[in-house]
Parts: sequence; C-alpha cells; structure tokens
Amino acid sequence: MTWITKSTAAPDATTIVRGLVSKARVPVGSPVYNALLETLYDEAAALDERRFDDWTAMLAEDLIYQAPIRLTRTGKTRDLDVMRTMFHFDETHESIMMRTGRLQKSAWAEDPPSRCRRFVTNVRVGECDTAGEYEVVSYLFLERSRGDSPENETATAERRDVWRDVDGAYKLARREIIVDQSVLGMSNFAVFL
Amino acid sequence: MLQHASLVLRDGTTLDDLVMRDTNEVSLRVMTDEELYHHEMERIFSKTWLLLGHESEIPKAGDFIVRDMAEDNVIVARDRDGSVNVSLNVCPHRGMRVCLGEAGNKPIHQCIYHGWAFRPNGDFIGAPVEKEKMHGNNVDKATLNLKKARVHLYGGLIFATWNVDGPSFDEYLGDIKYYMDQLFCRTDNGLELLGPPQRFVLPCNWKVPGEQSGSDGFHTLTLHRSLMEGGIMGGTAETIYDQAPGMYGVDVSCEQGHSLRCLEAEKTFKMFADVPFEGKSTRERLELLTPPGITREMIPQLFRNLSEDQVEQLATIPPQVGGMFPNILIAFIFAPRTDGGSSGALSLHTYVPKGPDKVEFINYIFAEKDAPEEMKRDMLQNAIWNTGTSGMIEQDDADVWPVIMKNARGAVSKGITLKYQALHGHERPDGWKGEGLLYPGFTKDDTQWNWWMAYYNLMAKA
Ligand code: FES
Ligand SMILES: [Fe+2]
Repeated sequence: MTWITKSTAAPDATTIVRGLVSKARVPVGSPVYNALLETLYDEAAALDERRFDDWTAMLAEDLIYQAPIRLTRTGKTRDLDVMRTMFHFDETHESIMMRTGRLQKSAWAEDPPSRCRRFVTNVRVGECDTAGEYEVVSYLFLERSRGDSPENETATAERRDVWRDVDGAYKLARREIIVDQSVLGMSNFAVFL
Repeated sequence: MLQHASLVLRDGTTLDDLVMRDTNEVSLRVMTDEELYHHEMERIFSKTWLLLGHESEIPKAGDFIVRDMAEDNVIVARDRDGSVNVSLNVCPHRGMRVCLGEAGNKPIHQCIYHGWAFRPNGDFIGAPVEKEKMHGNNVDKATLNLKKARVHLYGGLIFATWNVDGPSFDEYLGDIKYYMDQLFCRTDNGLELLGPPQRFVLPCNWKVPGEQSGSDGFHTLTLHRSLMEGGIMGGTAETIYDQAPGMYGVDVSCEQGHSLRCLEAEKTFKMFADVPFEGKSTRERLELLTPPGITREMIPQLFRNLSEDQVEQLATIPPQVGGMFPNILIAFIFAPRTDGGSSGALSLHTYVPKGPDKVEFINYIFAEKDAPEEMKRDMLQNAIWNTGTSGMIEQDDADVWPVIMKNARGAVSKGITLKYQALHGHERPDGWKGEGLLYPGFTKDDTQWNWWMAYYNLMAKA
C-alpha cells in the first residue's frame, strides 16, 4: 500500500491505487475473516454509540489515518482521481486523541451530537507481508442525523485498512478513507469515518 | 443626512431598510431573500475581483483547473506564453461545459457535444468538418471565443473579474495591501499550494460566513473555547473571559471591506509567553519567533521583499487572520503543536455562493515554496487539523452557520437584526507605520461593519 504524501498542487503526482493490494486472500467465512468482520462491526458500534474510549483502544500507536480528496478527471487521467496530496483527514494516534479529547469538552460541532449509523459492507481481506497484519477493505455508508433536520447528511467511502493482531485483539494501524464526493455534501467531518 | 440607495425590492423594501447605517444593524432577511441574492450576483459577484486559486496549481503550459465565480463555472488555464487565462466554461455554441475535468493538462479544450474547440486562452479554433463551416457562414471567429474574464496575479494568487473596465486590483485592495503583502509577497519564490483544495457545501447563504470573514475576533472566545481548553492559547478553561487571549491587538481595515487582525504572538500563545521581546531588534525577534511558515534561513528574504517597517510589523505584531471582501477568509496562524513544533498553518478560504441558501466552502492550504519538505508536511497537517472539512476550529463554525440560516427563514425571525454596535472608531496607535482604518485594543465590530459598508456601496450601484 502507498502512504506517501508529496507536497505539490499539480494533480498528476498521484496514484490510481484502490481496493485490495495483497494477493494472499483471506477467504470469506474463515476464522480470521470472521474475527476481522466482527472487529469492524464493533468499531462501527463504538463510534455510533460515541464510546470514544472504546474506539481509541482499538487504535495502534503508529496509526496513520487519512482521507484523501477526490477530483473529477477526464481522458488519460480519468482514473487518477484519488489525490494523495491533500486530505480531509490526515491523522496520527496523537491527533485522534486530541480530537476525541475535544469531543468530551466544548466541541459545539458535536454538542448536541449528531446521530450516526455506519453501515459496513463489501469486506475483503488479504494478508500483509508482516505476519499478523491484515489488509481489510470495506465500504462505508454513513447516515448522519443532525438537530431537528429530517434530512440526513450522508457520505459513502471505501476504507483501505491495515489491522494488526496484538495479543488476540485487532488494532487499526492504517486507514485510508476514499470518499466518493469531490465536493462533500456533509458540512463538516466532526465525526470519524 | 445619509444619501439613500437606489436598490428597491419588489415589495418596496429598500437597501436602507436592510442595512441600517444609522444604527449599525443588518436585517436577518438579507440571508434568505432570493431577489436580493440575484442583485448580489450582478452588483457584487459580476463586479469585484474574485479568488480562483494559485499559480502553483497550473505550473506548465496547458495546465488547467476549473473553478467557480459564484455560479459561473470557469476554466483557469496556462497558455504557451506562460499567461494565466480565465474563461467562462460555457460553450458559445449550445451552452455545454467545454471542460468537464477539474484539473489536468490540455493544449486544446474540445466540447464533447458538437466538437467546437478552444485554446487555453479561450480563443475559438474551429468546429469539426471545417469546410462545412458549422460555426456559421459569415461569422467573425473571434466572436465565438469563450467569454474572457480579466485576470490579475497577486503573490501567485489568481484573481479574476468580469468587470473589464472596473477598478484595478490595487484599487480593489486599497490600503490593506501594505499588510497583505506581509503574508503573500514576502519571500523570493512565494507560496505554493500543497494540493487541490478541500471542497464542501454548507446549507447557508454566502454572507453568513462572509460577514464573519470581516474579522470577527470576538466569536473565538466562546465558539472556539476548545482552543483554550486544549491549553494551546494563553489562559485555561476557567479564565477564558478574564484573560481573553487573542482579543487584544490592532485590527486593520479599509473602506473596500477587507481586514486583518494583527496580534502579538507572545500574548496569544502560552508557549511563546516567555519569549523576551523587550528591547530586541527586528531581526532578533524574527530569530526568536519566526512568522508562521517562515524558517530562520528565510529571514533575509523578508528584508529583500518587504520594507523595513513591514518586516518590523511581521516580527512584532503580525497580521494573522482576516479576510478580503466579498468572500475570502485568511488564516495565517502560528498553530503550535502539542509536540512542541510551531511551523504554523497557512489557509485561505473562499465562500462561493451556490444559490440563496447554499455556499461552497473551498479551503486552500499553502506553504512557502522554499520551506523544507518536512515543514510543508507539518503545515499541511496543522492546517487540516485546524481548518476546513475536519478542522477542530472550523468544525464549530460550520455548525453555527446553517442554524443562523434556518432562523433567517422565520417570518418573525427575519425581522431580527444583526448588531454591529460595539464600535471603537478609527484610532492610530503611537508609532504605527501602515495606513488604513485602524482599531487598536480589544477586537470590536468596526471591521465587520466596514465589510457591510463595502456591501452597501456595491449594492447601491446598479
Ligand atoms: S455545445 Fe459545444 S459544440 Fe455544441
Ligand atoms: Fe471561527
């Protein structure tokens, strides 16, 4: 997987990489697959229920958590649309702790909190080169209800994760969130994806 | 007596009923009124200079980006002669968009509908099947060019206007230029955009974030109290209102409606509190606390590109946040990190109108081109953490604005006024070198009122 960030605005310094890279597939229904699927469900529940301590306990110390922006492109560059030069999120373990810490004090963007449902599907798993690490690609559909608005804000994304087996529990070490909108319809990302 | 404006809405409401110059109030109705919005598109967004991006996005001939001047989509392209051109992305044949991608490189832009073709500068080249003259028999080809806007580059920032014979960019900028230069024109190789901008849409009128960009310093204490709770700014959660960090400084402004808040860094951030500035020369101060985005190695560049007075200000009481009328917000901030770094964050936003009740927030993130890669990386992260889509500061702004907008729809609520009555009045601090309208001390409503006066003056002219 590529996690390189290069600072240049000219958009062709980008890559096409999407989805699963690993060739060593972990089949649907295998014990490892099932355990990882359960982990994704538990993670979604922790976030939906705003149990941030439970969520951050699932994060590895060396976490890289990014959401590159998408561009609309044409012609030869039509599929080079994941811009890994600019992000909606560009986080480390420390910055996530800062964000979740803030949510427990005066973060008006989530006070009153929005009501979220994270639907996780299309889960594909592969083995990484490092033993005990798994590449996990999933689709995310986020429904977010705010205030008294009867219309939900929504976001769809592909998530390219690396989960690491640490003493029998999986910890999130990498997450790349590839959102589908070039112009987000959600008025902020005060929630995690 | 104040001269009355010529703008009258269909129900008889005048501009003076909406923007009350005698009491410094603005009717909440301005945020929802559809008719007013259409006047704004003609009297403001077709008349003033608008920010569309940065030169570093289109370094090579043929490079282009597509942006919006309010609801008009435009192609911003570099031609073979190196010039930056802005043309309306509307095919003069039957109205299709000529360029459908957001960024890329094309020596020729060909419309996908019937195939008319255009150069990066908007010039019409021809229609397919040349001998059949599908562009018309007796037409002067130049009349079929894409509609061209007037362009000005300022510190690499690309500005354009439809007002071909209107004020020059310098006239538009006015006295604020002296201060803006300290942010945009201070180094040999200038700024660089770190990537294509973040874009998201908010359900509110463009003026809701717009009036805040006129240097609303006061909201920081309450809306952004998490900054103080996080322990980055001076003060603690308990002493926010007593110590009022970041409130005292000199707000600068001009009748064109632009403004900047100049703040003494050591009084704003806890980590700089022990930096001994007394009796130090400009150069020593710069060495102690480099402005956001600047390294020690780059200090000589400041002296080369700015006047001595400008560098002195940058070293002592630098402009940090502010805006340009009508829809630009500037945040060139210190952004100290919990890990001890403080390379800063340089962000610019435009608030692009997308109808009376929608605005697109575009967040441009910069670094100095000459900054080391590591610093650029750090600054990208700082800017993302604090501003834009997920920014811990601006998440909260994005939460307030749509709610104000909801209120503005109520038949009774509409009649409520926005108040700008905490005024200081222009006062020149001792030894102050720059021009413009100056408001020293605690940040008040003056600069935001100037923003509304710039609005009033343009709206009053048909
Ligand atoms: S609309 Fe563009 S060629 Fe016909
Ligand atoms: Fe704010």
